[in-house]
Amino acid sequence: MAESTSAKKHLETTLLVPALRRKYYAESLSQTTGQKICWCSNGIPSEILDAFGINAVFVENYATVCASKRLSSGFCRAGERAGFSQDVCGYARILMGYLLGGTEAPEAPYGGLAKADFLVVNSYSCDSRMGWFATMQRTLNIPLYVLDAPYQPGGGCMDEANIVYTESQLLDFVTFLEGQTRSKLDREKLRAGIDLSRRSADIQTEIYEMRKAVPSPMSAGDAYTVVWPGMYMAGTKECDDFYARLRAEVNHRIVNKIGVVPEEKFRLLWSGLPFWYNMALLNYFEDFGGVVAIENAYFRSEKSFPPQHHDPIKDMAITSTIKRPYAGDLEQRLQLTLDIVKDYRIDGVILAYNPSCRLMYLLQPELKNALDCHGIPNVNIECDMADERTYSEGQIKTRLDAFIERMLVLRK
Amino acid sequence: MICAGIDIGAVNTAVVVLEGDRITGSRVLDSFEESLDPRQVTDLLLEKSGIRWEDVRAFVATGRGRNGCTFAQKTGSDVACQARGAYWLFPSARTIMNLGAEASRVVSLDQHGRVISFATNDKCAAGSGLFLDSMAHLMNLDVSEIGEFALKAGSAIEVSSRCAVFAESEVISHIHKGESRENILAGLHTAVADRIFELSCKLTFMPDLVLTGGVAKNIAVVKLIEKKLGTPALVPSNPGIVGALGAALIARSIRE
Amino acid sequence: MDIKLDLLRQNRHDMARLWKKETGGKVVGVFCCNVPEELIYAAGMLPVRLMGEKEEASEADLHFPSNCCPYVKRSFDQGLKHRYDYLDGIIVPNTCDMVRAMYGTWKMNLDIPFAYFLEVPQRISPRGIEFFRERILDFKGGLEEWSGCEITAKAIEDAIETYNLNRRLLQSAGRFRQDGLLSGVECQNMVISSMFMPKDEHNRLMGAFLEEAARRDTPPLGVRLLISASMLDNSDFIRLLEECGGSVVADDMPAGSRYFFYSVNHSSDPFFALAERYLVQVPCPRKMLPRDRFEFIKQVMEETGAEGAVIHNLKACDCHLYEYPYLKKMLQDLGLPVLFFRGEETEAEQETQRDDIEAFIEMIRG
Ligand code: SF4
Ligand code: SF4
Repeated sequence: MAESTSAKKHLETTLLVPALRRKYYAESLSQTTGQKICWCSNGIPSEILDAFGINAVFVENYATVCASKRLSSGFCRAGERAGFSQDVCGYARILMGYLLGGTEAPEAPYGGLAKADFLVVNSYSCDSRMGWFATMQRTLNIPLYVLDAPYQPGGGCMDEANIVYTESQLLDFVTFLEGQTRSKLDREKLRAGIDLSRRSADIQTEIYEMRKAVPSPMSAGDAYTVVWPGMYMAGTKECDDFYARLRAEVNHRIVNKIGVVPEEKFRLLWSGLPFWYNMALLNYFEDFGGVVAIENAYFRSEKSFPPQHHDPIKDMAITSTIKRPYAGDLEQRLQLTLDIVKDYRIDGVILAYNPSCRLMYLLQPELKNALDCHGIPNVNIECDMADERTYSEGQIKTRLDAFIERMLVLRK
Repeated sequence: MICAGIDIGAVNTAVVVLEGDRITGSRVLDSFEESLDPRQVTDLLLEKSGIRWEDVRAFVATGRGRNGCTFAQKTGSDVACQARGAYWLFPSARTIMNLGAEASRVVSLDQHGRVISFATNDKCAAGSGLFLDSMAHLMNLDVSEIGEFALKAGSAIEVSSRCAVFAESEVISHIHKGESRENILAGLHTAVADRIFELSCKLTFMPDLVLTGGVAKNIAVVKLIEKKLGTPALVPSNPGIVGALGAALIARSIRE
Repeated sequence: MDIKLDLLRQNRHDMARLWKKETGGKVVGVFCCNVPEELIYAAGMLPVRLMGEKEEASEADLHFPSNCCPYVKRSFDQGLKHRYDYLDGIIVPNTCDMVRAMYGTWKMNLDIPFAYFLEVPQRISPRGIEFFRERILDFKGGLEEWSGCEITAKAIEDAIETYNLNRRLLQSAGRFRQDGLLSGVECQNMVISSMFMPKDEHNRLMGAFLEEAARRDTPPLGVRLLISASMLDNSDFIRLLEECGGSVVADDMPAGSRYFFYSVNHSSDPFFALAERYLVQVPCPRKMLPRDRFEFIKQVMEETGAEGAVIHNLKACDCHLYEYPYLKKMLQDLGLPVLFFRGEETEAEQETQRDDIEAFIEMIRG
């Protein structure tokens, strides 16, 4: 195992994230105002939850926290003991280990999660999360809401039936939340939340754009950390401020030509999820003049749509139907990755095969085929994003060393 | 009445001859070491015990190779034979852990010795006897002494890999780092015991616990399992013959 | 007659090619239990369920990683090996991660004139049925546009009739196996053959087969088993269970009761009836119906007097793997012993499974 596990952060702004994260978990634990607690999956529009004053706890994120604190083997083992196959998502095994592990499970980071009043999962990302949330429902015996939407291969369309269905499900969701909170949706508040989160998302897009700069001002090690506010505090002023500040810092680095490495020799793309228990691996290339300049998970290249309707729910329905970036769609993923390689002047690609995240994993070989076909050097490493027992330092370093050598030869 | 049972495993073959309520002969043979087929092993054992083939009233085979055994009248599954043998030796047995060369299994019994549930390990090598064999080999030790070594450890290394191949590379890197053999072995034994413990979690554990199979001779594995489960384990003096014994008992009951 | 049923699966490609030659119609590959095949049939086409073979997926290995659903991977492998070259189209529903991934991969690697993705809501609600009805209408439109022929109301009605008859016949087969008139293997072979034969032809075959079976002497049944599986596209595993002394009397499987249990209601709106049948009635675990599914399993278990349950989940099939701990607990609470396998369905694996199955059957016999 690697000695140091967290990535070396190059940006000042990145260093603010741990405190934000701690605060976020502490607040949900200590709140006394009778706010409802909802455990939910990534991809649930948190603006709606915010508009209801609901405290959203994103369990996938908690799993990555457990993994980064090197607790994944303990939690996964406890989850497997409860009957969950090693095949299923590492995040889910961690959470099930946390819930069902009893004394066998490690001590939970941040003092554990605030007790949930209800669960919300989205259906349009992966199978795993639905099985996982159904499981939590059975275990905790609290209500579960499944937010459904069409899958739309190809990335979206102006299909009337799809819009109507998406809207109906969002409205159903609102009704569910109204029942849980015994209050009415504040549409003004929702509107403001959506506008604000689109604004911060657009700043993020700008930052992605800026990262095309050579030398790379910000590497994946920072990037995987700074997505945090956007994913879990979307629609808040704090989040907006955070990205404004990040943009300023990235800009400062570009203007002053401050790169991640003093002398940039090669630029890499990380495809797939990082290994949360060993983020330092992302810095591994830096000693050799390499930088992981960009990553394709969570990537965004386009600005948000302008509002399509004054009613915030209808607006959400339309915009999400026109454009649904879906990581499981082969054509989109290939195009996105090839575009990134070109736009970010990428010399080589690291393909992380994360077997328990089927969403990312299933398409990696086809991505590899496409890269090979375009003559783009790449290397694949297979180990889980969350379950550190799948990680073999020796094997991975050997592969990466050979790849680095190849990169250096090609650059000459 | 003389009855016999044979347990034809992937690595070992064991034969037990039973006369009335007495074990009159038993033999375990490592099929890697001696190239004898089940028939020849049985020949040898019978000869040594002064018994003629025709005196054996019934023969039951168990183990992975049971269906290839031409001279048995009947076959019994590993689970059934382990249960039968262990219960005969220890009537208080309620949970049996059979730690074989290739597979491990856990069996729950009721007070009459009937199988209520069982679990077999998932094809994974880490946790099996063969895994410990190869680790002993890697450290230039005999498999019979690694348990003692492990008990002398100051602290155990952590073997995090689930897979035997990865575990091996982890061990090698620990050897290179100069970690003591004791500490490495302690870590490996902990990993093996953990796997077995995980298997047992699939069932409801009830004492008394009986350990069978070749790995049950390893004192460190026994101690670690006892510690994990918080209960003492009963280990037969020759844990490798329990399956064959169970088969012999089944043979006896067909004749009764 | 069992042999013959087995042969049907082997000869399925030849049969489809012959059908094509004789009728000049189109053959359409279908995945999963959510595609209303009736419409394809009504369009004069032959829907065939895609299936794999138990051989090295040497071609598909280059396109899919190791830890993925072996059923889909092997089916795709057959495509890459040109065994499905006669297909004119494929219909892929929104079932699971693997099927969605396969949709893109199939389109990219195999020349297929018509590839249709059928949206299926993941949540059952009145709006969901309404939406699925819309999608079914769109599907019909897609077929019409592709073939250039209108699918008439009459043709749809007839197709529904033919399909319902097939379901009734398969339901009879399901009952026959409870009485020992048919083995579990025979019953599953019937379901499997129904999945790639023209339904009218299959109905005739089944009629004759059942008539003969009804006159059989019933041999004593083995240990009565219920099997719940993610996908078994051949009858080998059931054969293994029956060789070891079990008798499969009930199932909860896609290539089993999920294919034939529910009929399409008579309705003035056949699209609504189809939406209801395929979305609501079929108790598939991907649809977040935990309670209904368990109720369904409980019910068949009681009706058939099952003495033990065998759960067979393919590796990496999330829909089923999450459910397993709870399904197991429910069955055990009802006093049913449970045997679980998570596997890939290879020949080698069957041998290790045999050990456990024998032990399980011995255990139930006591
Ligand atoms: S399978 Fe992948 S996308 Fe789904 S919850 Fe797990 S990590 Fe997230
Ligand atoms: S068996 Fe599971 S993973 Fe495979 S196609 Fe069916 S639902 Fe999907």
